[in-house]
Amino acid sequence: MKRRWPWMLVGLLPLQALALSGEEVMKKSQAAFLYPGKDFKARVVMKLISKDGQQRVRELTLLRKNAGEPGGDQKYFMYFFQPADVKDMAFMIHKYPAKDDDRWLFIPAINMVKRIAAQDKRSSFVGSDFTYEDVSGRDLEDDNHLIEREEKVGNRDCYVLKSTPKAGDADFAHKVTWVDKGSFLPLREEQYDKKGVRYKLFTADEVADIKGFPTVIKRTMKNLQTGHRTEVAYLKTDYDLGLEDNLFSERFLRQPPRKWID
Amino acid sequence: MAQFSLVEFSIRRPKLIVAATVALTLLFLTQFPRITTDTNPKHMLPETSEVRVWNNEVDKVFALYEDTLVVGVRNDAGVLNRETLGRIARITDAILKLQGVASRDVNGFTTITNVTAEAGTLKVGPLMPSGPRSQAEVDALRGALFGNPLFVNRIVSSDGNTTAIYVPLEQGANGAEIADQIRAIVGQESGPERYYIAGDPVARDTFGAEMFKLMGIFSPIAGMIMLIAIQLMFRNLLLSFAMMAVAMAAIIWSMGLLIGAGFPVHIMSSMAPVFLMAIATDSIHIFNEFYFRYREKRESVLARMRSNSHKLAAIRETMAAVSRPVRYTALATAAAFAALLFMNIIPVKVFGVLIAFGTLVLRLFSFSLIPAILTFVKEEKIVKAVETESVELDRVARLLRRIGEVGATRPLTTTLVGLVVLGVAIVGTSKIHVNNNLVAWFKQSSEIRVADRAMNQALGGTSLGYLVVQSREPEFMKRPEAVGWLEGLQRHLETMPVVGKTFSVADYVKRINRVLHGDNSKYDSVPETKEAIGQYLFLFSMSAKPSDLDNVVDAGFQQANLWVQLKTWDAEAMRQVIQAAETYQKAHPLAVSVKPAGIAYFNLVWNDEVLGDMMRGFVLALVVVFVILALNFRSAKWALVGYMPLLFTILLIYGVIGFTGKDFDMPLSVLSTLSLGMAVDFSIHFIGRFRQRLAETGGDAREALLWTAARPGKGIFRNAVLFAAAFSVMLFAPLTPYIAVGAFIVAMMLLSALLTILYLPALIMLGRKWLLDQPMPAVDAAPAQAKGD
Repeated sequence: MKRRWPWMLVGLLPLQALALSGEEVMKKSQAAFLYPGKDFKARVVMKLISKDGQQRVRELTLLRKNAGEPGGDQKYFMYFFQPADVKDMAFMIHKYPAKDDDRWLFIPAINMVKRIAAQDKRSSFVGSDFTYEDVSGRDLEDDNHLIEREEKVGNRDCYVLKSTPKAGDADFAHKVTWVDKGSFLPLREEQYDKKGVRYKLFTADEVADIKGFPTVIKRTMKNLQTGHRTEVAYLKTDYDLGLEDNLFSERFLRQPPRKWID
Repeated sequence: MAQFSLVEFSIRRPKLIVAATVALTLLFLTQFPRITTDTNPKHMLPETSEVRVWNNEVDKVFALYEDTLVVGVRNDAGVLNRETLGRIARITDAILKLQGVASRDVNGFTTITNVTAEAGTLKVGPLMPSGPRSQAEVDALRGALFGNPLFVNRIVSSDGNTTAIYVPLEQGANGAEIADQIRAIVGQESGPERYYIAGDPVARDTFGAEMFKLMGIFSPIAGMIMLIAIQLMFRNLLLSFAMMAVAMAAIIWSMGLLIGAGFPVHIMSSMAPVFLMAIATDSIHIFNEFYFRYREKRESVLARMRSNSHKLAAIRETMAAVSRPVRYTALATAAAFAALLFMNIIPVKVFGVLIAFGTLVLRLFSFSLIPAILTFVKEEKIVKAVETESVELDRVARLLRRIGEVGATRPLTTTLVGLVVLGVAIVGTSKIHVNNNLVAWFKQSSEIRVADRAMNQALGGTSLGYLVVQSREPEFMKRPEAVGWLEGLQRHLETMPVVGKTFSVADYVKRINRVLHGDNSKYDSVPETKEAIGQYLFLFSMSAKPSDLDNVVDAGFQQANLWVQLKTWDAEAMRQVIQAAETYQKAHPLAVSVKPAGIAYFNLVWNDEVLGDMMRGFVLALVVVFVILALNFRSAKWALVGYMPLLFTILLIYGVIGFTGKDFDMPLSVLSTLSLGMAVDFSIHFIGRFRQRLAETGGDAREALLWTAARPGKGIFRNAVLFAAAFSVMLFAPLTPYIAVGAFIVAMMLLSALLTILYLPALIMLGRKWLLDQPMPAVDAAPAQAKGD
């Protein structure tokens, strides 16, 4: 017995070398999910639905521009249409992988642009079940990623990865992600709290090909503890529109150009 | 007559009867392991009751938790120092990891949402994400806490010595277990801080434990006391055990039925064992009579053979003599308890059925098991014991005879004195104050009372009520006039002494307005446009916990929820809040409706139900008992006379309750109904036996009265003493309702026995022309022989 197991290790080696590592899969997934194209635009309809069916609707135009390679800096611009009284509110995020985001909010009722502290990436994004991190991504370096197994989601072959935060201060214990082997889009993600209970479930409900980029155009995040869920639909999705860099500035927060936000 | 054949059967086949009883008892006993308790005060009213349906809806709409634990931390030198804050952070962290805790909505220093502006940057996030590392951070925290009215009196006391961590629990979580785990967590911390753990789940758990204590420790003690008392009275161990066995069997049958039928044990039904034990003492009349009869038989039967014949004869005669009163007293007791069925409070209904069933079982035993056991009593044992059982020799009997003599000789004076006392009692009764204060059910020194007191002194109050403000229009609650109206209502309510703290969406709006404008106190107000309010709240919801906003407004902004923390659990407090809200609305008309909700409101509704139930139950029991008396005596006149000692007793006790200012709460209100059924027993025995005696001797009413006072009177006296002895145990119980019940019953039994023996002779003598102008029924009180109305 003792003599035999080093041989078994050798037997496994080639396979290990050929396959992608957990880190590599997550990197590809990040690129496919959060960085496709040079820039991106969509009309987003978010439905915040409580356990017993009460709905709050958020409607906004989302603009994104990458500064460089996938994994690098990004700028986001959000212009709100719904609810009615927040019309003309605009929200801008400059995202840097290694440090806190910069966030600004324009409050039209008092004609004020206010910087918003970004102390918690895990807090809710506009009251939805998505966190800022769920929307704009979590630093890959923060977690260890391990491929646990391979499995189908629907008819798609997926890697199943377990990501565990390196530092103990994250508010979740680990998450499990099903990454499509073809498109590298995450099709399903489960987040586990520190008590080891699965408490959030992400599902990619519809994927469409837009300008050659496979895009999740319908997604749901469900809080399994409260029963609250958020359904998101992307309408009028487009890539590589040539968004200018100066669009993502305080000046345009107050008066965004019509052609980009409608 | 059916019961006669049952008695005959029982004394002929006593072993069969005993075996059957034991078998059935074992059968009921098999149900015991399935016992569950229900200590949730909400379950006092049915799930379909309006208030519970409405409260559930409010919980749903505003994402509120059914159960929240409150952990109080107190440091007399102030909690705002690095050591204490470090402990609070550690404790909160540990609590967040507990299974069953709704971690996302735990509110304490480290988790509560704070809105601040620092260097032009708006910050919405936890107040103190981790324990402070420097004095500067402590000072900053102090500023943040006391600069924000949302925090003062909610998570920090105004003197800075107390803080609270609010720990909501997931649906179905075990609150008791979590409270224990939190106790273990705070137990690991050393330091000068004191910790208080309060909240409904703790109260319920404590309650449950005390209930088991009552059933498991106090009931057996009551049983022991009765056993000793019976032994002293009859000096026959077999008889004493027989009586206990009868009581125990009845308890096991009833509780077995309750548990087997799937009902949880509630505060009322937990008292059932003691009640049944006490009711079982009614069979004392059988033993009492048996002893007298046996002695008479023994003397008359010259041949002292070792045969059973005169024992059996004594049993037969005893049963014949006491069967009618015993049957009717059982009927009256069962009927009074069954009257509880018409009440709205579920545990009271269950209790009524439970005791009614137990009473009927006891009566069944009276005509089967007891005669059967009497056949086993060894002759020489009785011979020894009955030596003293003679009216002439017995000191107690002589004393009773003398009491009866007072009434019979000076009926007018006795009655007049009674009327004066009665008048005073009625004045006292009018002062009765109905109130249910669930926290006051625990003793002053109990952990829960201590925690409640400490938290009420330091913070906004532990009893929580809501005012749900509803509009017909969606988005209405974003309007400046609506938010301003809410704020005005809050200020109005906060002028009331019972209100500690209020909280609504207006507080968030004002806070954000101020923070956006450089923390300028000029902007600590509601902005002027609906857009501004909408955008502020949107901004808030972008970073706050979802529950922060959900707790105060519904999704469509059509309803707002105003939190009112009350400093007392008295039901009246919420009534005052509702009235204050009405007054405010009259002075400031707005197209909204205000509906109260929350546990404080539930307590108010429930309190009113108790009052209604009490009136209904009392009247019903009065009627039922009167009908039974009239049936028993076949005369409304006699029923009226028999009624008097009972009414007198109850009014006296009510008078005392009124004068002492003790809250008239649910257990007492239930008792008033029950006491009618139990106290009337004495009248039934007294009048029944008196009329028999009068018919037997055909002579002097006065002499018959004195005989009754001495002989069945001794049975009454023994019954009352036993009853009182059993219930006196409850005076030492850990929950005040039990103590109140104990005191009530002890007083009622002794008083009604005394008043029966004193006032029935007086009243009968006074009304003898009116009462006795008709022929008396004969010895056996056979139906055909009785005339009357």
